[in-house]
This record gives sequence, C-alpha cells and structure tokens, in this order.
Amino acid sequence: MTAPILTATGLVKMFPGVRALDGATLSLRAGSVHALLGENGAGKSTLVKILTGVYKPDAGEVRIGDAEVHFGGPLDALRAGIGVVHQERNLVPEFSIAENVVLHHLPNRFGLVQRRNMRAEARRCLDLLDLELDVDTPVSRLSVAQAQLVEIAKALSVDTRVLLLDEPTASLTGDEADRLYAIVRKLTATGHAVVLVSHKLEEVFAIADTVTVLRDGRSVAEAQPLAGYTRGQVVDLMVGRAYESVALEARDIPEATPSLEVRHLSTAGGHRDVSLSVRPGEILGLYGLVGAGRTELAKALLGLDRITGGDVLVHGTPARIRDVGEALRSYRIGYVTENRKEEGLFLEQTIGRNIGVTIWRRLAKAGLIPDRAERGAYDEYASALSIRAASARQLAGQLSGGNQQKVSLAKWLAADCDILIVDEPTVGIDVRTKAAFHELISKLAGRGMAILLISSDLPEIVTLADRIAVMAGFEIVGELDNDHAYDRMSQAIIRLIHAEPVLATAAASGARPAESGGVAASESPDGAA
Amino acid sequence: MIDQTRSAPDVVADPAPPPDEAARRATRIPLWANPRIGLTIVLILLVAFFSTVRPSFLNTQLTLVPMQADISVYAVVGLAQLAVLSMGHMNMAVGRMAAMGAFASGLVYDRLGAPMWVDLVVGMLVGGLLGALAGLVIARTGVNSFVVTLALDFALVGLVSLLYSRFTDGVAFPKLAPGMSNLRYDTMSDYCMGNLCGPPVPLVVPFAVVAAIAVGVLFRWSRLGREILMTGANAKAAELSGIPTRRRVIQAHALSGLLAGLAGFLLAANSGAFSASLGDQFLLPSFLAPVLGGTLLVGGAVSVLGTVLGATITQVIYKGLNLLQFGVDQLKLYIGLVLLAALSLDRLRHVLAERRGVQA
Amino acid sequence: MSAPRFIGGSVVRAPEFTLVCLAAAGFVGMTVATHGNMVSGGTLEVFFRFLAVPIVIGLSQMVVLAIGQMNLSVGVLTGYCAMVTAWFMVAQGWAWPLAVLAGILLGGLVGAVNGLLVVVTRINAFIVTLATMTIIDGLRYKVHGPDTFQNYSPQLQRIGRGNLLGLPNVFLVAVVVAVAIWFFFARTVAGRHLLASGGSPFSARLSGVSNDRSIVLAHIISGLLAGVAAVLTVALSGNVNASVGDDLLLPSFAAPIIGGVALAGGVVSVLGTCLAAFLVRLVDVAQAQFGINQRWVDLIVGAVVLGAVLIGAVRQKLAARSAGAAPPGSSPPEPRPPTPDTSVPALEGAA
Repeated sequence: MTAPILTATGLVKMFPGVRALDGATLSLRAGSVHALLGENGAGKSTLVKILTGVYKPDAGEVRIGDAEVHFGGPLDALRAGIGVVHQERNLVPEFSIAENVVLHHLPNRFGLVQRRNMRAEARRCLDLLDLELDVDTPVSRLSVAQAQLVEIAKALSVDTRVLLLDEPTASLTGDEADRLYAIVRKLTATGHAVVLVSHKLEEVFAIADTVTVLRDGRSVAEAQPLAGYTRGQVVDLMVGRAYESVALEARDIPEATPSLEVRHLSTAGGHRDVSLSVRPGEILGLYGLVGAGRTELAKALLGLDRITGGDVLVHGTPARIRDVGEALRSYRIGYVTENRKEEGLFLEQTIGRNIGVTIWRRLAKAGLIPDRAERGAYDEYASALSIRAASARQLAGQLSGGNQQKVSLAKWLAADCDILIVDEPTVGIDVRTKAAFHELISKLAGRGMAILLISSDLPEIVTLADRIAVMAGFEIVGELDNDHAYDRMSQAIIRLIHAEPVLATAAASGARPAESGGVAASESPDGAA
Repeated sequence: MIDQTRSAPDVVADPAPPPDEAARRATRIPLWANPRIGLTIVLILLVAFFSTVRPSFLNTQLTLVPMQADISVYAVVGLAQLAVLSMGHMNMAVGRMAAMGAFASGLVYDRLGAPMWVDLVVGMLVGGLLGALAGLVIARTGVNSFVVTLALDFALVGLVSLLYSRFTDGVAFPKLAPGMSNLRYDTMSDYCMGNLCGPPVPLVVPFAVVAAIAVGVLFRWSRLGREILMTGANAKAAELSGIPTRRRVIQAHALSGLLAGLAGFLLAANSGAFSASLGDQFLLPSFLAPVLGGTLLVGGAVSVLGTVLGATITQVIYKGLNLLQFGVDQLKLYIGLVLLAALSLDRLRHVLAERRGVQA
Repeated sequence: MSAPRFIGGSVVRAPEFTLVCLAAAGFVGMTVATHGNMVSGGTLEVFFRFLAVPIVIGLSQMVVLAIGQMNLSVGVLTGYCAMVTAWFMVAQGWAWPLAVLAGILLGGLVGAVNGLLVVVTRINAFIVTLATMTIIDGLRYKVHGPDTFQNYSPQLQRIGRGNLLGLPNVFLVAVVVAVAIWFFFARTVAGRHLLASGGSPFSARLSGVSNDRSIVLAHIISGLLAGVAAVLTVALSGNVNASVGDDLLLPSFAAPIIGGVALAGGVVSVLGTCLAAFLVRLVDVAQAQFGINQRWVDLIVGAVVLGAVLIGAVRQKLAARSAGAAPPGSSPPEPRPPTPDTSVPALEGAA
C-alpha cells in the first residue's frame, strides 16, 4: 500500500451565505482511479476548484506527498502536478492545438514565442495519449471528444501526477467514452492518480477503485474501496438516509386518439422516417445516447428546425407549428428544456416572472398585467410543486438545481399544456428531488397529460415510461412496451441501440457480462452492479 | 460582444448552488440601496450647491424654465436609448433618427402646411420606421446592434445633409407650424383660467412627461415591455418560452426611433427651427441618462425614473457650470468626471447588494 | 487531415482575400477612371500620405477590439496628444523629437488610465471610455483654447511632407507600426496572451494568463497608437487645433470592422484593417476626383460597413447550419466539419 500522493484535510470554503465545504477530506493513491461522488450542492465542484487552485480554502490544508501546498492560482496547481479537465471545454478556439497545449508555458526567448519548440512540446504531449492530430490544427475544427483529449494532453504537459476529470463523459458518445476509459486505465497503469467526478453510477462502478462521497460539504465516506459497496449503499451515503425507490401508482391509459403523433418525419437536422405517438395520459419514453437526435426532434416539433417530410398531428389533426409560441397557444404543447440554466430560465429575473412568462397573455387586462395576478400564479405553482423559495420576488438564479427545474416546469403547467415534452428533467438534480419529479410526472400523466419523456437515464425511463422508443443516429431503431423490470428492459434497449448481443459500455448499463473488454482494472464482484 | 465584467470575486466560475435555507433570504431592497434615492439626494445637493453659489440659478425666467425645456428633450433622448438598452442592444443612430424625424416634420409643414400635431406624428413615425429597419436587420441577420446602428448612422449622416440641401434653402426649415412658437416661448403660467394660472413649466414638459409615463408603464406592466426585457435577459430562453423574439427586437428598436423622433421635434420646438444639425449632440446624453440612472448595458432591467433623474442631473450640472462661467470644454470635463464617479458609486452599491443576495 | 497553411501565426482568411481583391480592383478602377492620373507622382503621394493616420487609428481600435472591448476615446485622445505635442514645441521650445516622444507617451499614459479604470472598477469599457472621452474632449480645449498652433518645428513639417523611396514618410511610419502590431500579436507571448484573454478569458485564466494585465496592456497600446496618429497629424498638417480627432472615432471602427475583426474579441487582422483603410481612402479620393457629394460617400461607407458584417454573419450562419450545429449539452455524432473563420461579431446575447 503506497502512501497517498495527494491529501486534503478539513477543507472549509464559504461563499456569501453558503457554506460550500465544511471539513471535506480526500486522499489519493498513485495508480488508482478515485471517484468523487455527491449530490448537487454537496461541494464536489468546490473541492475540485480548491485542489486545482481556482479557489483558496478558508480553512484546512492540502498536501502533496508530505509537503503542504498553497496555490496562488490555477497555474500553481498545474505546476505542482495536478491537472484538471473541467466539464466545459476550456481551449482557445482560434489558437492551434499546439498553442493551446502549452499556453501556460509558451516556450519563448525574450518574450518571442519559439514556434518550433512549441510544436515539438505539443507533439510530445499528444504522443503520451497516442493522439494522431496535427498540432497546427485550429481547435475550433475539433470535435468535442477530440478537444477533450487535447485538454487531457494539456493537463499532462507538466509533470502531472494527478488528473481530475469533472463529468468527462457528459457530452461524449458511447464509443468516445470507451476511448476515454481506456486512456484512464493507461494513466493509472503508468502511476498517475485519476479523480473522477461523475453523476453516472454505472460509469463509476465500472472504472473506479475507491470512492469519496461528499454530503453537505463533508466527506461521509473517504477513500473507501468501491468493492465494499452496492449502488444502493452509495446512494444512501449521498442522500443521507435509507433511500427506496418510490413505487409509482399504476395508471390506466384509455384508448384514444393520440394527443401527439409524428408520422414518417424527416427534418433538415437529419431525422429520417421518425414515427411515434403519445396518447393522453401516456408517458412515452424516448431513450437515446448523447447525439442520437432526440432534443433535435423536440426542437423540430416546436418549429425550431425545418421539417422536410412527414406529418405532425395534434389530437388527430395535422399541425403546422412555426414557433414555440404557436406550439403553446394553438396546440398547448410545452417543452421543458434539458439545459435549464441557459435555455429554461431567466436567472437574473424573479421567480414570478419566470413562471408567468408563458401566461402573461392570459393574465393581461387591457394590455397590462396586474402584479397580483402574477403573484397568484406563483403561489399556486410554488405550493403545487413545493418550490422552496423566499418569495415570488426572489431571483431564479439563487435557487438550488432542483428548485430551478421545478420553476422551469411550472411555467408550462401554468400555461395549461396538455402535451408536455420533458427533456432530461433530472440531470444534475439530487436524488430526493429526482424521486419527487418522477412522482410529479407520473401524476401529471394520471391527470390526462400526454408526456414525451426524453432521457438517457435508463432507470428513470424504465421507472416512468409506459412505452419506450429508442433513438440512435436520428432514427427510431425500435419501440418497446415497458414492463418496468429493469434488467430485462435495459438489456432490450441496449440491444436495440447496438443491434447486436449486449456489450456493456460503462455509460449505458451497470451490468457487466464476463466477456466485456472494458472492465476496470480492479476486480469487483458482480454484486457491486 | 461588449466586455460585460460583473463583480466576480477572484474565481473563474459560479460557486456551488446554495442550499435551500439560504434561499429563504429576504428580497426587499433596503432603502439605502435603492439607486433612485441616491440620485435624488445627489440632485438636491447639486441644486443646493449651485443656488448658493449663484442665486440666479433659481431665477425662474432665466434659468429654471429653459432648464426644464432642456431636461425634457434630453430625458426623451435618454428614453430612446433606454428602449434598446432593455434588450442589451444599443442605438448609435439616435441623433440621426431624430434629425430624420425632424426633417419629415419640417417637410410636411413646408410643403403641405400640416398642423403641428400632424408634424409631430409624422416625425415620430419616420423615426420609428428607421428604428424598425435597424431592428429588422439585427433580427434577421443576428449582427450586433452596435455595428448595425453605427453603419446606419454613417449612412444617415449623409442622407440628412442631402435631403436638407435638396429640400430647403440650405440647412433648415425656418418656418414652423403655428403652435410651435408657443411651445418655444410659453409656459403654463401664460395660460390662466380666471385667476388661477399654471406653474412656470414650459409647454414641452408635458410631452416628455407623457413619454416617460408611457415608457414606464410599457416596461413595468405591459406584456410587450416584459417580453422585451426577457428577450434581453436571455434570448434563448425567451424563444423557448414562446416569446416572438424577432418581433420584439424590431419593436424595441422601433420604439427607440419613435422616441428619437419625438426628441428631435421637441428640440426643434426649443430652438425654433428644423435643422440638419439636430441630434448631433444626442449620442453621449442618450447613454449618460440611463447609465447614471442605473440601467445596465446587459439588458433585462430598466429604470425610467432613473433615466429621467439622470437627464435632470446632467442638465443641472450643465446649467450650473454655465452660470459659473465655465467654458464648454470644462463642462465636458466635469460631466465626464461625474459619470465616472457615479458609476464607481453604483458599482460599490452593486457589490454590497450582491453580498446580501439581494437583487441590486 | 492536412493542416491549413499557417502564415504568420494565423491562417490567411477568406475575408482578407476578398479585401485584397477589392482593393486591387478599386485601385485599378480608379486609375482607369482618372486616365492614369491616379498613379502620377503627385496624386499617388497624396493618396498614401493621407492613408497613414486612418491606418494607425484603425489599429488603435483594433487592439482594444482584440480583448473584446471598445475604446471610444481614440479620436479625442489623438487631438489631445496633438495639441500637447505642438504645445511642447511652441510654448516650451522643445526640440521636435522630444515633443513627439512626449506626445506618444501621453497617449500611452491615458490608455493606461483607461485600462486601469476598467480593471479596477469592473465597469464596462464602453462606458469608461465614454466618460474619459468626454473628459479628454474638454481637455483638448484646455491646452490652447480654440486657437491654432502653427509654425512649429520646420524640420518636423519637412519630414511630415517628405518622401523616402517615393513613398511619404508618414505612410512608411504607419507601415512600420502595422508590421510591429502584427508581430506583437503573431509572435510575442504578451500578444498571444492578449488574444487568449479576448477569445476565451476563462480558458486563459486557467492557463495562468492574467486577463487584467491583457486589458491594461491593450488599452496602453491603443493609447500609444493614438499618440502616434497625433504626431503624424502634427507633422503632416502644419497646424493643429482642438478639433483634431473629431472625425476619427467612426473611421477607427470602420477599418477593423470592414477588415474582419470580431467585436467579441480574440481575433485580429492587421492586414484586413489596413486594406479596409485603403478602401475607404480610395472612396475618399473618388469623391474628391469626381466631385461626388461627401454625403454620398458617407452613405456608401455606411453601407459597406454594414454589408461587410452582414456577409460575414450570413456566411457563419450557413456554415453552422451545414455543420449541424448541436444544441448545448449534446454533441454531433461525428467530428464536426471545418467551421469558417470566427472573425465576425458574435450574436447578440450570446456573448
């Protein structure tokens, strides 16, 4: 058992009114993959930022080996051997790969850049990962996955010993994620320590050796071997109490004309021959991995992309939807976006306005909107959805992730939609609120709403949907009736996606059959799945 | 587009979202943090200062009446810029839109003998159309409003001159509709019902007051105004919430042009002629008033009252320094310094308010 | 995948190529239209002599655009520095090299004040420079009131009107300055850091680049260039008064914008800016030559600026559509096809 190469003890970090970290601890050993888990707001992101020099802790210490370190900024951390790849890409798009990789230490003489040295150094870093990209390529021409690999190369450019990956597979396809896991394994084999911050438990159980769980700013499990836990136990640690999945009420779906039907649809975005239908009171799950074309389909239905063929029918009659306003007012279709911070909410506006934006037309008297009416809408939906906020006048940006998502949903409920397209509703939401959302969605369907649930979260889809359509490459590859039996359904779905016998990719399922080539270096019994 | 640096601490991204108890903080703005109170205090102090140093500052006929007339014009100019600041846009062509509107007003009277009210409406419509044109280009192409309106300004400079030289003896329409000289010379005190005469308020003031109230009501309570603000706050979310963002962009810019037209008309009334140089000096004040009044360049929130106060403070300073025999150059110097000082104080206020988690 | 040709640290982009063609075509056109008068010694000399200041002033604005900001004080600062330079020579009897140096350094000093104000107060640069523009506007008149300085340093004036190798001295100075700026952005660490700060401030920070330092540096350089424009004006016109610089603000934007520089920052084009200044000068000459009303010229220039940006924006939109622009949170199923140059302003609200 080697000594830890990085330890953090008693870290405290405060922001105005918030105690983000309250005594967090962490320790890393060389050659291992260490998962950092926790709900949103638990402090993972803050901990990562302290370890990488972006924030300074208010208390506590960080040690590399035996020596205590104090980072003056991100560059200090990098020079100390801690590299990081954040969730969003952090490269300068107009610069070449070479220049990006060595931006923090541009080889120079008398302030003039030495371009040959720069290219050589970048080549060396890319070679560490067997990346065959031309170092002169402008970064703007790379795909997201390639750019991410360049960032890893950059993180390794200094004599890095620790690599932190924050939600690395959030924007990757299955194959790209596999490639990343292979690189992670290669790094640990060469003695690096990798910290993986991830929401995807399947991924964590597939490649991590040890785990630290943060809750409310503290480490409730610290550097524990993952082998000793089941998924349920890990979730318990994250949530803080024994968590049981909520049994949802069975719903009876009457035969009726579908509320929303799509027939042989093709779009300018690339969809081909897409057909699906949702009846009133039904939840149709639309499953697919990142890049499958699901959100693009939703946006096409709302008039945000051109439909080049096929029909859209609402309650049986053909619909021509030109924009979101028309979808809402003429067809009573609502769309809860997958990206609430950038597309679903007005963070600097009040909650009242965020909820009221879809119903101002209805609330207006003589063209003016009485404050009382808007407040009334807030009162009604804040209580119906248990939105925890100080008042209608609080800013949406100050709410927690779960409450923000509730606000994002509330505005469609207020608008009295009867068809709801919900896109990745529980991404980045804590487990408790997630369950509450599932209950809510089920209740809405119970009241007759037709719901198209877009999700890449298998458990979520299997829990909620009545039928599941599977999308890949902008086409529907299959449709299943859902019997809510997780193992059977997930196998069937994966089979549809890959159109061949199940090869467990860590991103897609927790089950690990014997001949999968992508098993993590450590041996974990199947009971950990 | 423009570098919008906010009061970030020395970190690169947002901190973790606050737990729920932190969300239960009060959201009422404490009185001291209300920017409008601060401006009013500044205004009172300035008036006190100037009238102490130069008692003629309070002379109605000499100072107060002309100052009110100027405030009216520049308040409307500020409102014209405010109309697009609401979206986080800019209108670099306010001055020229005013000049074009004034040209149309003058032309309509000169050739058709139209009465004053018609002249006004025509002027505003022309301004509004130019604004709508700018908005259309911006909405259709997605090009930055600064560039589009700057280019429009370039083009209009030439056009205004050409039009005036073609249709007048030189650079102005010298004859104005009957009624406009009343606007120029009369105050409400010239109109009496029996023994009760009005206050010494120039007749142009009601125009500005009506404009301010209309714009204020628009942004505070009307659906159109709110949707414009939301488009400014987050255009993507606005589109996905059913707001017709393109239409709102055009409407905001049209409103800006409309108000510019009004400002041009009022200035013509004050100066006695529709001339080609109307609006030449509008650009700086159009930003000065809203910015002093607390409106940010990012969009999403506006303050009509703040803009009016900002315009008032600016004109008070001009008039006061004028009475103190300061030259034009010194005027500019001090106005610039005042702007910097006001902005720094406002930034301070923002930082303090943010620390308390309140909407500043 | 074959690498794009990197020339001078950046790929030669399509808009620059378009400008070269336009400039060449315009020049040839003018030559033909004036029956060769255009290329006769005197006319050509005048052409390039009065191209010097627009080039330098365009570069002055370009440097600030590179970090995604604007400098509204460029025009009046030129006037102020010009007045001070003349004042040093006339009222203080300084030799012209010393006065010229002082004028340029004054520009840099004011630029530093602008930059520091922006960084310290965190107020938007547009507003800060709006305020300093107002202040300097007034300061111009404090130097010598509304009066004119003339009859200073005959040596300087001789240099200002003189030629070297057939080209006006002032134009050569502008060329040297342009090359220096190009070099700064293409080859120096400070310049690359500046572009990183402008293009991706977050990423730059993570790489240890100080965005604040980039901002201050950009404003200092901008001020220095305004100072250079000022001394060029002093040298070539033989007399200066406080109105110098009144008509320089809009051209300072027109040149970089037509030249393809992005308002969002991170991209510069020295060649584009110079070519754009060249084109505008051509239009000026055409106006004088054919007696076209100046106002029509303004109209045309406005239309060209608009057109240049529109074309760029439309092209970007088309390319984004063909690349299958993905919504946030998802990625395209395969590597993206090459995106076009990013030297156009970002969409409103998407900054």
